[in-house]
Amino acid sequence: MAFALLLSYTASAQDITSVHGTVSDEMGGLMGATVCEVDGTGRIINSAVTDLNGNFTMKVKNTKDKIRFTYVGMSPQVLPINKTTYNITMKSATTLKEVTVKSKKRAQGNGLPIPERELSYATQTISMKEFEGLGITSVDEALQGRIAGLDIIGNSGDLGSGSTMRLRGVSSLSSLTDSNPLIVVDGNIREVNLADFDLAGANNEKFAELLNINPEDIAEIRVLKDAASCAVYGSQGGNGVIELTTKRGARGKPKLTYSLKLTGTHQPKGYDLLTGDDYTMMLKEAYFNPYQDDNASDIPEISYHTSDAEFRDWRQYRANTDWRDAVTQTGLRQNHYVTISGGGEKASFRIGGGFDHETGTIIKQKLNRFSTRVALDYNVSERIRVSTNFSLTYTKNKMNYDGLLDIAQKKMPNMSIYEYSPTGEVVGYYTMPREGPYAGSSVFNDDQKKYVNPVASANLAKNDRRTYDMSPELVINYRLLGTDEDHHRLDYRGSVYMNIFNQYDDKYYPWELTPLNYNADINTSYRASSKSVSFNTKHTLTFTPRFTNKDHEAMFMGRFELTSGSSNGQSTNAKRLATGVENPSAAGLGLEPGSWYNQWRSMYYTFSTHYSYKGRYVVDFTVRVDGTTKFGPGNRWGYFPSGSLKWIISDEPWMQKLKPVLSMFAIRPGWALTGNQPNQNYLYTSKYGTVSNYIDMGAMAPLNIRLTDLRWQKKSEFNGGIDLAFFDDKIRLTIEAYHATITDMLMPNYRVPSSVGFTTVPYRNSGKMRNMGWEFHITTNRFIKKGKFYVDMNANFGNNRNEILEMDEYVLNNLNSTYDYKNGETLRRVQLHNPFGAIYGFKFKGVYTHNYKTFVNLNLSDEEFKQFTQGTLPDEWYADHGWEKRPYTAPVVTGPDGELIREADGTPKRMRYDYRSDGTGHTSSHQGFNGGDAIYEDANYDGNINALDISYLGSSLPKLTGGFGFTFNYGDWRLSTQFTYRVGNKILNLARLNLESMIGNNNQSQAVNYRWRKEGDVTTMPRAMHGENEAYNSLVSDRYVEDGSYLRMSYAQLSYAINKKYLKWIGLNRVSFYASINNPFVITKYSGVDPDISQSGYDPAIDRAQTPRSRSYTLGITVDF
Amino acid sequence: MIKRLTSKITVIGYCLLVIGISSCSDFLEIPSRSEIILEEFWNEKNDVDNVVAGCYSRMQGEDVLQRFIVWGECRADNVKAGNRIDRDANLDNVLKENITTKNPYTGWDGFYSVINRCNTVIKYAPGVAAVDPGYTESELKATIAEVSAIRDLMYFYLIRTFRDVPYYTYAFTDDDQPMDLVPTPFEAVLDSLITDLEVQQNNAMKRYAITDTYYQTGRITKCAIWAMLCEMYLWKGDYDNCIKYADLVINDKKDLLKERPNISSSISGSSNDSRTNGFPLSTGGLSGSSYGSFYEDIFTSGKSVETIFELLFSPLNKSLAGRNGSGWPGNYGAGRLYGYASSSAMNDAFLDVSSVVSGDGGRTSGRSVYANENYYADSRLYINSNQGTGDAIRKFVTQSVMVGQASNHTSKPSVNYGTYYTHSVVNNVDYYENSSSWVIYRMADILLLKAEALCQKLQEGSTQEIVAYNTPYLDQAFTLVNAVNKRAVAQPISSLTDTLQRSKYNTKSEMEELVLKERQRELMFEGKRWYDLVRRSMRDGNTDVLCEAMANRESTNASYVNNFFGNSGTGMWAIFWPYNDEETKVSANLAAHQNPAFSSGETNIQK
Repeated sequence: MAFALLLSYTASAQDITSVHGTVSDEMGGLMGATVCEVDGTGRIINSAVTDLNGNFTMKVKNTKDKIRFTYVGMSPQVLPINKTTYNITMKSATTLKEVTVKSKKRAQGNGLPIPERELSYATQTISMKEFEGLGITSVDEALQGRIAGLDIIGNSGDLGSGSTMRLRGVSSLSSLTDSNPLIVVDGNIREVNLADFDLAGANNEKFAELLNINPEDIAEIRVLKDAASCAVYGSQGGNGVIELTTKRGARGKPKLTYSLKLTGTHQPKGYDLLTGDDYTMMLKEAYFNPYQDDNASDIPEISYHTSDAEFRDWRQYRANTDWRDAVTQTGLRQNHYVTISGGGEKASFRIGGGFDHETGTIIKQKLNRFSTRVALDYNVSERIRVSTNFSLTYTKNKMNYDGLLDIAQKKMPNMSIYEYSPTGEVVGYYTMPREGPYAGSSVFNDDQKKYVNPVASANLAKNDRRTYDMSPELVINYRLLGTDEDHHRLDYRGSVYMNIFNQYDDKYYPWELTPLNYNADINTSYRASSKSVSFNTKHTLTFTPRFTNKDHEAMFMGRFELTSGSSNGQSTNAKRLATGVENPSAAGLGLEPGSWYNQWRSMYYTFSTHYSYKGRYVVDFTVRVDGTTKFGPGNRWGYFPSGSLKWIISDEPWMQKLKPVLSMFAIRPGWALTGNQPNQNYLYTSKYGTVSNYIDMGAMAPLNIRLTDLRWQKKSEFNGGIDLAFFDDKIRLTIEAYHATITDMLMPNYRVPSSVGFTTVPYRNSGKMRNMGWEFHITTNRFIKKGKFYVDMNANFGNNRNEILEMDEYVLNNLNSTYDYKNGETLRRVQLHNPFGAIYGFKFKGVYTHNYKTFVNLNLSDEEFKQFTQGTLPDEWYADHGWEKRPYTAPVVTGPDGELIREADGTPKRMRYDYRSDGTGHTSSHQGFNGGDAIYEDANYDGNINALDISYLGSSLPKLTGGFGFTFNYGDWRLSTQFTYRVGNKILNLARLNLESMIGNNNQSQAVNYRWRKEGDVTTMPRAMHGENEAYNSLVSDRYVEDGSYLRMSYAQLSYAINKKYLKWIGLNRVSFYASINNPFVITKYSGVDPDISQSGYDPAIDRAQTPRSRSYTLGITVDF
Repeated sequence: MIKRLTSKITVIGYCLLVIGISSCSDFLEIPSRSEIILEEFWNEKNDVDNVVAGCYSRMQGEDVLQRFIVWGECRADNVKAGNRIDRDANLDNVLKENITTKNPYTGWDGFYSVINRCNTVIKYAPGVAAVDPGYTESELKATIAEVSAIRDLMYFYLIRTFRDVPYYTYAFTDDDQPMDLVPTPFEAVLDSLITDLEVQQNNAMKRYAITDTYYQTGRITKCAIWAMLCEMYLWKGDYDNCIKYADLVINDKKDLLKERPNISSSISGSSNDSRTNGFPLSTGGLSGSSYGSFYEDIFTSGKSVETIFELLFSPLNKSLAGRNGSGWPGNYGAGRLYGYASSSAMNDAFLDVSSVVSGDGGRTSGRSVYANENYYADSRLYINSNQGTGDAIRKFVTQSVMVGQASNHTSKPSVNYGTYYTHSVVNNVDYYENSSSWVIYRMADILLLKAEALCQKLQEGSTQEIVAYNTPYLDQAFTLVNAVNKRAVAQPISSLTDTLQRSKYNTKSEMEELVLKERQRELMFEGKRWYDLVRRSMRDGNTDVLCEAMANRESTNASYVNNFFGNSGTGMWAIFWPYNDEETKVSANLAAHQNPAFSSGETNIQK
């Protein structure tokens, strides 16, 4: 029997052509149950249905296939085809124990696909879904105010320049690396290194990257904040990381999307400046006052002459030109973007292409940008997937040659833009002649004469830049072992990424802007081209073991990465070109070619592991090894380990009762070591380079002192975080605190005694700094909901403090500027164990109403003096002098109780400025204070305003910074708003100081119209005094220290999506409209244009009149076909 | 299955290993292209020559050449503030004797940079000689003598300016070498310099090839070392040696003229011998309207036979772009400080002639430098400052000065100034297109140094015995001074009326006074005057002569000068400069030895 059975089995297994049998349950035969033959992929080959008694017969095509029995309400059974008769008893599915389907959202954490819930680092993610249908024009705009601890500082206002960002304060005080966070796009770091060439442009380049990515292409932005999360980036991630993930094609039929944004931008005005008439009046006084002599103020440019005989150029100096108005305009921006995406089982794609056209808020700025991004995925087999990505951005930027806005702020407003002929016709732009017979005054030689006519510069000078930025990438994913969670998995990912960047500059400066004689350097031209090519390859193996005990979960990742790149460029400079010729190689004179070359390489090894037990105890460990060419053989490799833990307390069984309220409660401590490297090669050896020649001998010289023990700068950071979520994740809240210690700080240009032949060594590892702070952020998920209406909000705030713990005494000495007693000079004091950002200066107490001599001649008694200052002398006294009855002041020394201090001979002692008995003070040029001068508090009553009277005026560190936003949804309508704020910080407003100082020829703010003009004037605006050393009325004092607290609306956007059902008939899937406004208002007491000024480096927050961020209005439409 | 897996892992593992480990150390070595690293340098003679040239060109840098002027002239009585002084408050403070340790003109980094380059050559050149057969032993010795002399010259400037300075003769190449050096006393440094030069004079180049037109004056020669020794012995107070080396220099120049008779047209004929008393001074065309043409020969053309050592600058109309680049630079220092003419006669300068040179506003009196001598007939009056169209420095500013014949000391000859050096502004950067040579030693200087040494041989008193002893020395000294003086008189040698009278100088103090004054007249604006006053003060042990000279300046007043330099405690310190604040901040040793006469200009600031 057994033998027969065996026989039949072997026979049947080979040539079974049909099967039959019955399907039944506990009650008996089942009618209508389905029997199918299915192949390995689940495709149905044959099928049959049981009859009334549950019997069936079915033909079989291939015995390698399987047979499947299904019936509603019963669990299906799948059996191999190895017999001809099947008598199946189905079991009810309802009797099975409950099955819950768990899916975990996975995030790439330290290169591992870690479930988001188990992330043990400080990160914050923004999905671009939140912005769907909204008109975000750039990534930094999307990040504005959304990330706790991320400070976005406004950009320069020029087209194509990005913002500056600081994550958790500065981690490095030196300028050796820029302090911006690292930007990673799909795991790749853009390596463009033109820094050797154009230092000023380096920052712009960095952020061009962000600008080159169209927001439409971004799927998600993740900001990595603590060192543990940045650990996989080793020494590159020292300033934090912003990771961008771009969208890829998805299965489905091809989808075409078109979006258009139209944006208008304009510059906020700033301080009102003097008109031509006010300016000439002010300048006349400023030149008259120091000498009390009309000859000193007899300057033809401001004298409104009326004939050629008096002043040849008189026609040009009678205007009321608003230079600022003349160079600003409303900028317009159009962004067009088209994407097509789709895919099938085997392949998917996404292709995007965009064209941007912008005109700037400053005249004649124009930018055109074409960008495209292609993502293709192809599944070669179940195990192998090949992806290729390509992006290209072409930018043509017509820039201004000069900083026009800056010049416009200073330029004399009584000068006209155009030159008029005697008959009143415009003959060209007017610029002060700098040479030749010029009847004008030489007082303008050093300033006004050097300021080019900004309107002329905009129209006549050329400064064009074209860039091509290409990044192709090829990725292979290979699943070496299992393909699902039931097997051990070992996945390999290999990628090759290149970055090609070409830049062409073309500049021309015509003679009209430099009115010099022909022998001088006029008609200058500059052309340059530079290119940078970098190559990066990464090889990653990820191993995910399968544990039979499902409580354990672990992942291991090993990665090798190699980067190599080079950049080079050449430039040609020429001068004295024939007018009209712009090509420098056509130069007869002064052709100056130049070239440069730069190369870099690095190598990284990374190992990362993640382990979790019961999904609630999590351990992460990462170590990265960086190799760089910057250090000598001994210190070439840096080791950067990190570890972090997470305990999801809310998942503990004993917390389950709280689950409905507290859906998440987790704590996560972490620690990591990251590093930083210098930006030069070969510091560990002596370098020789060419120097100025001598006679006919080529000359070389040693360029540096060899650094024998240059080491990595190291940052050790502890981070503690608490994640909280309430009401089924309706409200999510994160609190982070961090404490970072930076050791072996790389101090660049370390000063050494110059008797060694060099004044500095390029770097020295010196000092220790602490950076600590905390952050808080909260987001909601349909927090308030009523029918079609729901509201969401996000809020974050944080605080950061930097402090130097140890520093070489010499370095510290050199950091602290020595006070030179100059107008507008800021005093920097860096002290150990004190946070940065303290502002020091004098205390301003108003303006002296009367001259010293006038006061002395009054011959007041001590008692009368008190009454004089209080305005309580008898009425007759005032009547006698013809003065108004009010408190007056005079530049005399007073004691602690306001009593008059007299010299030995009884005359009142005059208030002096920086008087020193050895004659080294400012006594020789300044005879003491007088009427109309600023009153500074004489803190020690010594009758001498000097360094001893300087006191602490406040801290520029905010008590709190952050942002918040609300989103209101109603059906197809959405209103989204975002605000940023800063509280409790002081700003030193040097911009205002310079606009109110009245010591030079630059235009001033209208506030100076309230200046002291004659004795008895009671005002807080000192008199006009031309000259740096004539008066000291604009010393840094609390007069310029302002409260920098503000609340800004970053943007408000209203969007509307037309309901699909109204679109069907024209074949569209989606049409959405939006309107948004950026920076509509700022609520602040700060008098400047933009209070968004933060402390940086060693200095306090100083407003140096940077270009304010522009205001913009956007209208947009997105159509899905 | 497992086997397949392991093999796959092994393959990938090997790949990674091959890519990573095997090549990693090589991979992280990048060949440098814009610079050469030490390991690849110092292989051949050419490398040595290049760095030697780097030593010279470093002296032409702004922070060395301008210091020659500022240290040598700006505290003394030849100059006052020019109309551009408002652009340089620090220079203004130097002129006003308001020098603090913060004043950047107290910085010496350029000088030590030259010193370190020289020491680097001395360190590595022997290694090159060992590997390059084309670099002979004698060439190596000549190289070392050349750079040692440059180094010693730099130290000589430093000690005359700061008194005690850090002194060392090894190269600084590594950051682990001790850098905070104790300043070495003046006398010790001076002795070391003399000792070194005494050795190096034997190895130095005597004659450069005649085809290398500019080398004989533009680079260190035996003669240049003798000139340095001559001056150093004078500072040391060793007058016999000073005279000895002065004679070596004079004879060497005479030999050179015999060897290379065609080298110069500017010394010709016996008629000029009577003018220069036989000394090899430049005299080209001293006749008609070209009195003063020796000026052009020395300063504009360069390589004059009178010159012993000078720094040569790129001639005009060649590329002057290399001020910060690698070309042969122009004389930025002289151009900036002494001015330029932007169109006609306008002189836009940081420095101007003081009234000891130009006299009162009407230029009729108070011209104390020339007062008791040949007055209007002295062509140096017009070389130094333009008389008639506003006071301004002309030396180093114009390319030639043509002085006509003067009939007597009260009538002014005709004066013609040649082309002026120009100036341009590109992108708000000033370019001073000046190419005049910066002469460090020339024959007139050596003659007057010898005269000064001879004065020191004189004895005080008027006994017959002393007079008999003094007369030959007085005669010798007068011949020297008179040679320099006569060359400048704008009169034909046949009818020389306005010249010095030997009979007026019969005592030590009279002759000393004459030499000092003649040095001032002859070497005006050449960076010598202040050092003459310092040397005099050190020799006298008091600052009386210095105070007397300084009393005539317009930038300071006599009472201030007397207080400052006459101070019994710090007066002798005041003639030197303080160490720069930036240096004392990073060097405790310098801070401990700071010059007590100067303050930091800072009062303590509240913390």
